[in-house]
Amino acid sequence: MNAVPYTHRVAKPNGWWGMIVFVATEATLFGTLIGSYYDLRFKTPEWPPPGVPDPKVLLPLILLAVLVSTSVPVQLASSFARARRVGAARLALLLALALQCGYLALQIHLYVDDLHRFTPQGSAYGSIYFTLVGAHHAHVFVGILLEAWLLLRLLGGVTTYRGVGLQATAVYWHAVNVLAIAVTIVQLSPSL
Amino acid sequence: MTLEVLPPLARRRAQRLGLIWEERPGLLGWLTTVDHKRIGLLYFFTTLVFFGAGGIEALLIRTQLAGPNGTVLSPEAFNQAMTMHGVTMIFLFVIPMTVGAFGNYLLPLMLGARDLAFPRLNALSYWLFLGSGLFLYVGVLLGKAPDCGWFCYAPLNTKEYDPGLNADFYALGLIFNGLSTTAGALNFIVTIFKLRAPGMSFNRMPLFVFAMLAVSLSLIFALPPLTTNLVFLELQRNVGFHFFDVAHGGDALLWQHLFWLFGHPEVYIIILPAMGIATSIIPTFARRKMVAFPLVALAELLVAFIGFGVWGHHMFATGLPVGALIFFAAASMMVVIPSAIQIFAWLFTVNLGRPDFRAPLLFIGGFIALFVIGGLSGIMFAAIPFDQATTDTYFVVAHFHFIIFGAAVFPILGGMYYWFPKVTGRMYHERWAQLSFWVTFLGTLLTFFPMHVVGLLGMTRRVYTYHHGFGWDAYNLSETVGAFVLAAGLILIFANLLWSRFRGVPSGPDPFYGGTLEWATTSPPPPYNFPVIPTVSSPYPNWDRADREEDLRRLEQGVLALEHDHETLATTVRDGYADVVLHMPSESHWPIVVALSLTVVFVMLLTTHFVVAGIFVGLAGLVLGAWHVREPAAE
Amino acid sequence: MSGGSVRPATLLAGQNVLHPHSPAEHSITVLWWVMLGGAWIGLTLVAVLLVLGWVRRNRDALPFGGGERAATRLVVGLGIVTPILVLTGLFLWSDIFVIRSTAAPARGSTALTVQVTGHQWFWEIRYPGMKAVTANELHIPVDTRVNVVGTTADVIHSLWVPELNRKIDLIPGRTNSVLLYADRVGTYPGQCAEFCGLQHAHMELLVVAEPRARFEQWLHGESGSARPGTGAEAQRGQQLFLTEGCADCHQIRGTSAQGQVGPDLTHVASRTTLAGATIPNDRTDLTAWLRDPQRAKPGNKMPELPLSSRDIAALVSYLEELK
Ligand code: HEA
Ligand code: HEA
Ligand code: HEC
Ligand code: CUA
Ligand SMILES: [Cu+2]
Repeated sequence: MNAVPYTHRVAKPNGWWGMIVFVATEATLFGTLIGSYYDLRFKTPEWPPPGVPDPKVLLPLILLAVLVSTSVPVQLASSFARARRVGAARLALLLALALQCGYLALQIHLYVDDLHRFTPQGSAYGSIYFTLVGAHHAHVFVGILLEAWLLLRLLGGVTTYRGVGLQATAVYWHAVNVLAIAVTIVQLSPSL
Repeated sequence: MTLEVLPPLARRRAQRLGLIWEERPGLLGWLTTVDHKRIGLLYFFTTLVFFGAGGIEALLIRTQLAGPNGTVLSPEAFNQAMTMHGVTMIFLFVIPMTVGAFGNYLLPLMLGARDLAFPRLNALSYWLFLGSGLFLYVGVLLGKAPDCGWFCYAPLNTKEYDPGLNADFYALGLIFNGLSTTAGALNFIVTIFKLRAPGMSFNRMPLFVFAMLAVSLSLIFALPPLTTNLVFLELQRNVGFHFFDVAHGGDALLWQHLFWLFGHPEVYIIILPAMGIATSIIPTFARRKMVAFPLVALAELLVAFIGFGVWGHHMFATGLPVGALIFFAAASMMVVIPSAIQIFAWLFTVNLGRPDFRAPLLFIGGFIALFVIGGLSGIMFAAIPFDQATTDTYFVVAHFHFIIFGAAVFPILGGMYYWFPKVTGRMYHERWAQLSFWVTFLGTLLTFFPMHVVGLLGMTRRVYTYHHGFGWDAYNLSETVGAFVLAAGLILIFANLLWSRFRGVPSGPDPFYGGTLEWATTSPPPPYNFPVIPTVSSPYPNWDRADREEDLRRLEQGVLALEHDHETLATTVRDGYADVVLHMPSESHWPIVVALSLTVVFVMLLTTHFVVAGIFVGLAGLVLGAWHVREPAAE
Repeated sequence: MSGGSVRPATLLAGQNVLHPHSPAEHSITVLWWVMLGGAWIGLTLVAVLLVLGWVRRNRDALPFGGGERAATRLVVGLGIVTPILVLTGLFLWSDIFVIRSTAAPARGSTALTVQVTGHQWFWEIRYPGMKAVTANELHIPVDTRVNVVGTTADVIHSLWVPELNRKIDLIPGRTNSVLLYADRVGTYPGQCAEFCGLQHAHMELLVVAEPRARFEQWLHGESGSARPGTGAEAQRGQQLFLTEGCADCHQIRGTSAQGQVGPDLTHVASRTTLAGATIPNDRTDLTAWLRDPQRAKPGNKMPELPLSSRDIAALVSYLEELK
């Protein structure tokens, strides 16, 4: 009995399951961060506190739309790899990577901009705001690293191993994008 | 099946497997091992040392409290001993012992697999665990051990009231420890889902495996609140954020909510493996399948699930709204039902079978008695007014030691005897084992039962000394004497095991005629576990003799022997149909290197060298890259 | 000896949860006895089954042992149905009815309100509407419902007088309240129940229940300012108190000492104990305390001050006059 070829397998590989479990624990992490946000919010009469500007709405929402849209190329890359279409997989991955890097760069710009207006040391609002948003950006950064690594490996062609890696990374990105929606809504909630 | 008795063709296959799976000999072999059995043993011995440390701390506490106005420990030393006792026993002993040692060693064997799903990740969990344990104990050596109690409430844990490194050791040590546990839990879940022997559909999984699944799922969802909490704490302590200080809009109770949202599931994480061990030992010695098998399996999962809805019962005196109090009380009462199902299923299995009270079953008998006493006092706390009177007294200390020492540790001890022949190939000494049970059991009663009484007499917990004149003195003395009796019982156990390791009579592969697959291979199991991947048609496959004989035939024919490479079989998640042959990674030095760089990261965070810490995170990332440069043939 | 202290002989009263001196505590005690009875029944059942197994060891399996259905029914009956019935009863009784007797009193529903503030490691006690401020000794009139409103100046503490009622946590930024009621004249010891640092063990409290008239008299006395020291020794003591740093931390109403770190000492001599009911309030112990406050209560927030024995004697003479 030899290895069933990757393309013919019906069951999900271990790497995919591992990522599912990892994503579950990450989602819980964000759940507790968001829970903490509301715990602090509901015991503070003015939120954000005096002197802290309300969060801007438009730009973060546009950025969010861009980020969420990258789920498509990431998923495509995974499917192309499964079909052994290396070129297409590389291209899709590159597209996703470019969009996500742009997203992260702009978000970091916004983050630093916020830091000029109010600080995490100023109030509990600032503390939870920067922690929540920062945790999200860190996840985007890790996702970018994963993709860059896979892109590098794909230069040498597709293997089962790399295919599974892409499949798992796609799961990771879908989860990050769902969490991005949740985090952004919470982040903007004082202005909504 | 021992090699010698195998027919020639089968023997040749087994020998070839031996060559493929054998790891490097010597120390280097232990440092780079990815074999779940060796990692299990590493966990075992490490946690045993930590158990000794936690036990010494307990004995120090008891010596100090033997009589009024004790002077053995200063208040600082007492608070550190008390905190480290709790932290050590929970994070460095019970969980790594049950999940790390028992789970690691037994899961693949019970599932009929050759290793866990991610062997190198498994090695990483161990090294991270060791790193976190050493990290915490460096704090002890520096005299800066955590001193704020194991739940370390805010704002006592903030810089203002705990200016030393004590609380930093706590926070960083537990984040570190959590990484290890999360990795382990993830590994277990995937292993249980994917690496079961063909034919082992979900409903044919051994109950121990159900328990480990429940534990792993709980860990995956329970640790994030703790991690979040600890990160908040470090940000507040070292970077000046405000999560817990009221003056800047923070909330002191936020800490308690997050802590107990982790903390209560945690206590079920502690008890569930013990339940799993009980459900392994009972059928073997009662010589009968478990009564109400599906109910018990369901109950194990339900305990874990309901456990997430009861955290508020640790906060009944904090002034939560009455509605919330009542919700948490009702949930706490509900959580009794899955425990009660199991208690009676165990009792009726024993009574309807043909019980043979050898040492392992004796320990399980003790466990049932102590668990019921501890559980009954637990349920009293769900009557809110009673809890509001007795919370933070020794009544609570009595509750949780009955249930933690009596209910979680007794099965661990019984399990040590039970699987000792499997791990070493020799029998323990039965007479002395029975004696060690009685000494430990009586010691436990003598230590922890009087705590109920002093609790009701008004003795609060975490006091480093007390006055004469409250009627507490005699009870406290009894507790102290009991603790030493207990220690003697434990020493008897370990002396027995040590002696038997060298002098015990050879046990053969299956001395107790156990029902699960670990008994189907040699003792100790070969590095590849099974010369041929077994097939399964019931939850007690080792009792299905026809299947086991079929294994032998398949070995001769070479079906599912997978003797050409470092391989094991993956199956489908629900039904356990054969899915794909997996190439398994072999020994690797990367896990220990990653753990080492992460240890540096935590030391740097402790000393607030954030930049250096960042550099080492980067290094750890690079190592992870290097680790994955060489691809296994499949996945 | 560290923490070397003997409980003052006058305080031999206990902290027995099962020794109720109020209706609230009485209901808790009843709850306990009923639950204990139930627990014994449950434990006996389990013990009988265990012993039965032990007695039957190595005997053949029971003839109906293979009967999976019957066994499952037993498990369902004892493991599901019975607990549901028993626990529903316990839940309704304890968490719907009994809980009312220990609930916080409604604001303004009591004749008297007392404000307690936890400090590391002593209790500050105020009587709203009166000037009285004291420490570690909470006086209440007997047979009277008293609303105790609690909060903290630093970390979380928990106020507990076992023979009178449940406990309440004192939490930063929040107030909790509890009803105190004593049905008999007497001194009821209490304790800080939440771990609050180094001297959590010595954060004790006395509740003194007195007849109404005595209580009024006491409260009146506590509300007044301190008398100036009489006699040369005490006057020198007062002078020292104001110049040697004591005044930075302690308040003595009627003098320029306005410190807020330590307990109010305006009427310190009227208290029976010192330092969170750790040591008796007499000349020897007070002298020992001033000589080295870190001996009886290591780590407490009062520093050792460089004072000569003569100075200490003078301070003691002064403090002893602060009735
Ligand atoms: C292994 C760990 C473990 C386990 C399994 C449990 C099990 C339970 N615990 Fe316990 N608990 C702890 C460990 C554990 N606990 C610890 C460590 C603390 C203190 C933490 C700290 O403050 O430091 C604590 C504290 C604690 C509190 C808070 C006390 C306080 O601080 O004020 C409460 C309150 O409700 C509670 C309740 C329960 C309940 C209802 C169960 C139930 O699951 C018990 C269910 C079992 C039974 C009831 C027995 C078997 C059933 C029968 C024989 C059937 C018949 C029974 C009836 C009909 C009632 N526990
Ligand atoms: C798994 C959990 C666990 C276990 C097993 C124990 C075991 C024991 N505990 Fe522990 N305990 C806790 C968890 C546990 N405890 C927790 C969570 C707290 C709360 C802390 C807090 O308030 O923050 C606590 C608190 C606590 C207190 C209250 C402290 C206080 O409130 O001030 C006391 C007091 O008596 C106590 C006593 C004991 C004793 C005598 C044992 C004995 O059973 C110990 C016996 C063990 C030994 C004597 C070791 C023997 C080992 C060997 C011989 C092996 C040696 C081998 C090698 C070295 C290789 N414990
Ligand atoms: C830095 C602050 C500080 C200074 C200075 C200080 N004290 Fe104190 N004092 C305290 C604190 C805090 C306590 C409460 C200790 C405890 O019980 O934990 C206390 C307690 C006391 C008590 C016991 C009160 C009671 O009712 O329990 C007396 C008496 C006392 N101090 C007298 C003095 C005298 C006299 C001086 C000067 C020589 C002095 N203190 C200087 C902080 C201080
Ligand atoms: Cu204040 Cu404990
Ligand atoms: Cu709990």
